[in-house]
Amino acid sequence: MINRRTFIKSSCVACASGMLFSELMSSCAPALPTFKTAIEGKSISVPVTYFAASNVAIVRDNMAEYDILVVKKSEEQFDAIYMRCSHRENPLTATPTGLHCSAHGSSFDLNGQVTKEPATAPLQKFPTEFDRTNGTISINIQSLKL
Amino acid sequence: MIATSASAQVFTREDSLQAGLVRSTQQTVLSGYGQAKVQYDLRYRTGEANLTRNVLFIGHKFSRRVYFFSELELENAGVSSTGGFKGEISMEQLFLKFNINRDIYLTAGLFIPRIGIINENHLPTTFNGNDRTFVETFIIPATWRELGIGLYGNSRRIPGLNYSFAVLNGLNSAGFKNGTGIADGRFEGSQATASNIAITGALLYYYRNFRLQASGYFGGTAGLVKRVADSLQLKSGAFGTPLGLVEANAQYHKNGLAIKALAVSAHLPDAFRVNRAYANNTPSSMMGAYAEAGYNILKIWSDGTTKNLTLFLRYEWMDLNRTLPSNGIINPTLRKTYVVTGITFQPTQGVMVKLDYVMRQTGERNPELVVTPFPSALPYYTSNGFVNLGFGYSF
Repeated sequence: MINRRTFIKSSCVACASGMLFSELMSSCAPALPTFKTAIEGKSISVPVTYFAASNVAIVRDNMAEYDILVVKKSEEQFDAIYMRCSHRENPLTATPTGLHCSAHGSSFDLNGQVTKEPATAPLQKFPTEFDRTNGTISINIQSLKL
Repeated sequence: MIATSASAQVFTREDSLQAGLVRSTQQTVLSGYGQAKVQYDLRYRTGEANLTRNVLFIGHKFSRRVYFFSELELENAGVSSTGGFKGEISMEQLFLKFNINRDIYLTAGLFIPRIGIINENHLPTTFNGNDRTFVETFIIPATWRELGIGLYGNSRRIPGLNYSFAVLNGLNSAGFKNGTGIADGRFEGSQATASNIAITGALLYYYRNFRLQASGYFGGTAGLVKRVADSLQLKSGAFGTPLGLVEANAQYHKNGLAIKALAVSAHLPDAFRVNRAYANNTPSSMMGAYAEAGYNILKIWSDGTTKNLTLFLRYEWMDLNRTLPSNGIINPTLRKTYVVTGITFQPTQGVMVKLDYVMRQTGERNPELVVTPFPSALPYYTSNGFVNLGFGYSF
């Protein structure tokens, strides 16, 4: 049976390794910008400033069950993708190049299309509109059941 | 598909949602997957057709925070007490999932921990070839499920980084068999000993077109009453007679090209005690690795195609008795290499037709382990080939 000394030593090594790994990883890719909001009505407005350093940003609201990934397609064109896997409804992990389901391995591109099964259906998307005057992206979430 | 519990009718997901029959807070989902194949053995010149498995998935959403998941599996078409069928019916998974927040959830019940690639991602539409990879059959015994509690999450600070940690029931070293690794020492949810436990953890990182993962497992294999364990001279307790396993894998996907590789090593430092107690010729360590490359040739003509015609080649190596205790008997047939090559055709998403050739090479038999010699038994070939044709589906 493992003794106390070995257990404590192993635990410390594991924690230190985890912290080191975390630091190394954070230097690889900066955190995605996250816009926290409270849904009022049927749309969400996201300031375009969130896309100053990234082509993607996460929109998080306490009412919605999953986050929304907003993808900058061009200066005035944006896509809004619901971060719910179309396979088993697991929350998705977003990266600057795509969305991934850690539970069963499905992957999607930044258009919401399946790039790796087992998911077979594309991700749910919401219509968006860019308001040049206010510098905001309006996401129409009418189809979202809250 | 989704069924409302009130109406007891089955609708497609789209029908139900459009008709407004599904409340957003509660719904039941039915789906499944399966595979079948016919195999021809080129050495013995014999064939076998088999309905390998069919799995029925039932999930239910109790609330926004609590979900139920289950997979009921039937292998080899049937189960019979008279020997007519050689199948098995079992729960492949059955657990409750509790969403803590948007990034973290807990699972409790019978679930598959994150070890290797095939273990979690075992649907036949996710891998090439009719058989699951051999390293992840013999060393990581996919699908390896046990009872316990798991914590899963993804890091918001580091995009693409996921982590998991689980506490599970341990294994039963009395069930270990020479040739199948630790597979027969699993409880799989059936009256597992809970006095010995296991811990497992994994880090999974998505970076550009790469998926990188490392995982570890450490658990006891002798969940016996101390007096019984003492009489067998086994170490009892939570982590008594421990098994340790480490694994790392990497996958790359881009423009129809898919590459993956995995390496695993398992260690049982008290194998001498296990052999002394159960005489099952348990090794002290096992190792294995594989690498596979595949390319969807339809991408040559149409970059945006959703169809798939993948040519692939995989090489696997394993040694199921990498090291043996002094009371073990070497079995060179457990040093194996496999070369697998074939075609995977996907006429539509969720369906795959597979044709592959498997070349297996092993060491010679150890005469000390031959109970029934030739000509009473069939000759043993160190090199053999198999042709497989089958299909897989997932919906």
